[in-house]
Order: sequence, then C-alpha cells, then structure tokens
Amino acid sequence: MRRLPAGLPPLLALAGLLAAWEVASRFLALDGLPSVPATLAALPDLVADPDFARNLLASLRRMATGFCLALALALPAGLAMGRSRTVAALLNPLTMMVYPVPKAALMPLIMLWLGVGDLAKTLVIVLGVSLPVLYHAYQGARAVEEKMLWSAAAMGLSGPARAARVVLPAALPEILVGCRTGIVLALITMATSEMIARQSGIGAVLFNALDLAQYETVYAIILVIGALGVGLDVLFEGARARLVGWAGPPPALAPASA
Amino acid sequence: MSDPRERIRVSARLREGALGLLPILGLVGIWQAVVSLGLAPPALLPAPGTVLARCLAQFANPEFLGHAGATLSRLAVGFLAALVLGVGIGILAAASPGVLAVVRPLVRVLAPVPKVALYPAFILTLGFADASKIALVVADAVFPILLATLQGAAMVEPKLVWAARAAGTSPRAALLRVVLPATLPSILTGARIGLVVSCIVVFLAEMITSTDGLGYLLVRAARSFQTVDMFVPLIAISGLGLLLNGALGLARGRLLRGFPEEG
Repeated sequence: MRRLPAGLPPLLALAGLLAAWEVASRFLALDGLPSVPATLAALPDLVADPDFARNLLASLRRMATGFCLALALALPAGLAMGRSRTVAALLNPLTMMVYPVPKAALMPLIMLWLGVGDLAKTLVIVLGVSLPVLYHAYQGARAVEEKMLWSAAAMGLSGPARAARVVLPAALPEILVGCRTGIVLALITMATSEMIARQSGIGAVLFNALDLAQYETVYAIILVIGALGVGLDVLFEGARARLVGWAGPPPALAPASA
Repeated sequence: MSDPRERIRVSARLREGALGLLPILGLVGIWQAVVSLGLAPPALLPAPGTVLARCLAQFANPEFLGHAGATLSRLAVGFLAALVLGVGIGILAAASPGVLAVVRPLVRVLAPVPKVALYPAFILTLGFADASKIALVVADAVFPILLATLQGAAMVEPKLVWAARAAGTSPRAALLRVVLPATLPSILTGARIGLVVSCIVVFLAEMITSTDGLGYLLVRAARSFQTVDMFVPLIAISGLGLLLNGALGLARGRLLRGFPEEG
C-alpha cells in the first residue's frame, strides 16, 4: 500500500462521515436530523457557554478520579491473579458473574444508598473500569515467561521486587490494552450515569437538550463527546507508543462495553 | 477417563471451583450480616433471601417473562446483525486492500466514540421504538467483532490460500472455505465480547427510554422505591449474559473441535 501521512486517512474518514450525514439530512428531511452546517453553527455557542464548560469539567473530573481509583484497585488484583493459581481460582468466578451486569444500571440502586452526587457517579465509573483492567492485567501477568522470573530470583530479587521489576513491565503491553478499554468504558459509564441522575455533567446536558427538542444542540454535544473519545484515544495511543513501543503495535483496538 | 492424572486434574478443578465460590458466598454473607445487624434499613437494602424469593416468583410470572422476552429479542436481533456486519466487512476487507483502506480509518474514528452518546441521534432518526435500541446494540457490538475479524484474517497463513488457489479454488471460494474458517477462532473471541456488550447496551437503552424490557422494569421499580424489584432485573440480565455466554462457549466447542481452549 502507498504510505499516506499518518493523520490523513482518519481525517478523510471523518470528512466522509460528515458528508454522509449531510446527504442523509437533505435526503430524509427529518426534523430530528439537522444539517451539518446548522450543527456546526451551534457548536461555538455551546463551547462558549460557561455552564456547559462547568458540566464538562465536572464529568471529566469524575471520570479521571474513577479511572485512577479503578487502576489502583484492579491492577494489583489482576497481577496477583496472573501469578497465583489460588488467587485466580478465588476471583475468577466472581468476575465472570459481574461482567455482564451493566455497571451504569446499578446507578439507581447506588443513588438510593449514596445520593445523586459525585460519590455515586464516581463509584459506578470505578466499577465499570475495574473489570477490563483486572482481566487484562490477569492475562498479561499469566503470560510472563517463567524463565525471566527464575533468573530474577536466581539473581537475588525478592518476591515484591520481582513483581515490580519483572512482572509489571512484562505485563505492561497487555495492561495498557485493558486501560484503553477502561478509558472508553469510563466515558460510557460517565455519560450514562449522568443521563440517569440528571443533575450535572455532559450526559445530563445532552438528554436535557433532547427533551427540550434542541436538535442542533443535541448533535453538537454528540460531536463534543465523540471528539472527547477520539482525543483521549489518540493521547493514549501516543503514551502507549512511548511506554511500550518495544512490544510492537497494539493487538487490535480494545473492546468497549458499558 | 480412568487415567489417574485425569482424575487428579478433575479433583483440582473441583477444589478451584469451591475456592471460587468463597468470595461470592462471602459477599452474600456480608450482605446478610448488614441486614441482620440493622445497619441498613430493609427499604434500602432488602435481605438476600427476600431478593431470591422475589426472583423465583418473578421468573415464573408471565408479565416478567414478557419483559425479559422483549429484551432478549432486541438483544438477539442486534447481536446477530452486528455479527453479520462485522464478519462480512472484516472478511471483505481481508480480501481487498481497497476495502481495508476505507474501513481502517473509519474504524479508527468511530470505535473510540462512546456509542451511548449516539443514542439520542438514533432516537431522533429511528423513533422511540425497537429500531433505535437495536441500532445502538449494533453500533456497540459491531466494533469488537469487526476488529477481531480483521486481526484474525490478517494472521491467516498465506500459504493456505495459495495452496487452495493452486488447487483450482476460485478466489471467492478460497475466501469462504479457507480464510473464513481460519479466522473463526478470532471471530468467536470477538463475538464473545460483542455479546457481553450487547447485553449491557440493550439494558441501558431500555432504561433511558422504554415501555418494556428488563431495563424498563428497573427504572419502574426505582421510581416507586421498590428496592427488591430493582435487584430482580439486574440479576436477570446478568443471568441472561451468563447463559448466552455459555451457549456461545458450546458453539465454540463444536465449531472448533480440537482447537485449544481460550484463556
């Protein structure tokens, strides 16, 4: 294949998507599908609105907090599962059971216990992000080559030192795959929890605009959230390339679930 | 089966299974203790026994089963559509560099977008009925399946295709009878992720706007503060996910006889 500049094909894809949207909007002439220029025109007003900025920041703050907490909890647990059969046997069935539960669906229940504030929403994000990080840390740590651990032990590294200096770096590429899923999940759980508890945040703004039939605003917010997702993904990919460039390209894009 | 090593393996599996029950029983025990010690009022946290009894009662209730059926049918339609689309596009892209050049950047842009945010757009264009919910399921489930197909097809041994072509197989037949089967393990891994995603998304869509389905039951119970009834749909969707996952595991065992189990 000819080599195009790295950023070009995605931009072309974006332009193609916008063009398809414009064609659909002209062709279908639905009230609920405004044209691309009308939506883009609504964007500056939206971004300049201090209220919107406040909501967006509140969302991002919860997301970052939830993500970091989930990482702190799930990473050690996942690594332990990968290195010890007993820990794996202990935690595996529980994770299997919890995986198909939609974490954002726990929102109404958690709201009953913790109220509608930051605590409930952050907790839901922690729950959502923990599982993929746990799973990939487990897989990564399990695949660490035994010989490296034996050599490290033979050279006198203690157990904790081996975990930090052999297992963690060796499992890092796989862990980062989990983190990438985790970022997408954090975004999804964040938006969904705010749709359910519409008190603050970008998800609440989105669905309030839908209820008020401000269609251009709805689509403009969708663009902002989409850009957020793509932006975080690009940033993450950059960080990944720096951290584990030695491990080659990522094994496909991580799956997303809510 | 009477191989002693086999028996040791089975007993080790049993022991590990019993170990796995510990945290689950422990959580239920803590839950029961919190209720028994009066740390939480029953209106906020009903006893595990109460929830279990309500679950059993509801699983025999035709109205509840109707809601579960609505969820299941949306889930099945959405997941199957995503499977056909994901595998179809993935195999086409594997066959033609032109298609791949179009699909890859589109995936790069669309995959990281949180699809729930598109739900309002689906509602506005497809209406509040089933179509918008199914569209959301498809949008969310198609990417893991497509990516797994692309990745699997890229790793098919080219010599297999050359051999088939040299033996007189047409390009299309080689695609269907060599590339597709060789990609199957990867496709099934993607399908498993897509299935979990479908379960989750269909439930969320029903929670946001719906008049039936398990997600609607949860929201209805939450509005009237029926805490016990809030647990039932959550347990039901989790059970549904486990059942479907088990079914997919069985299908995998049949389709990939002799292929190593996935981790």
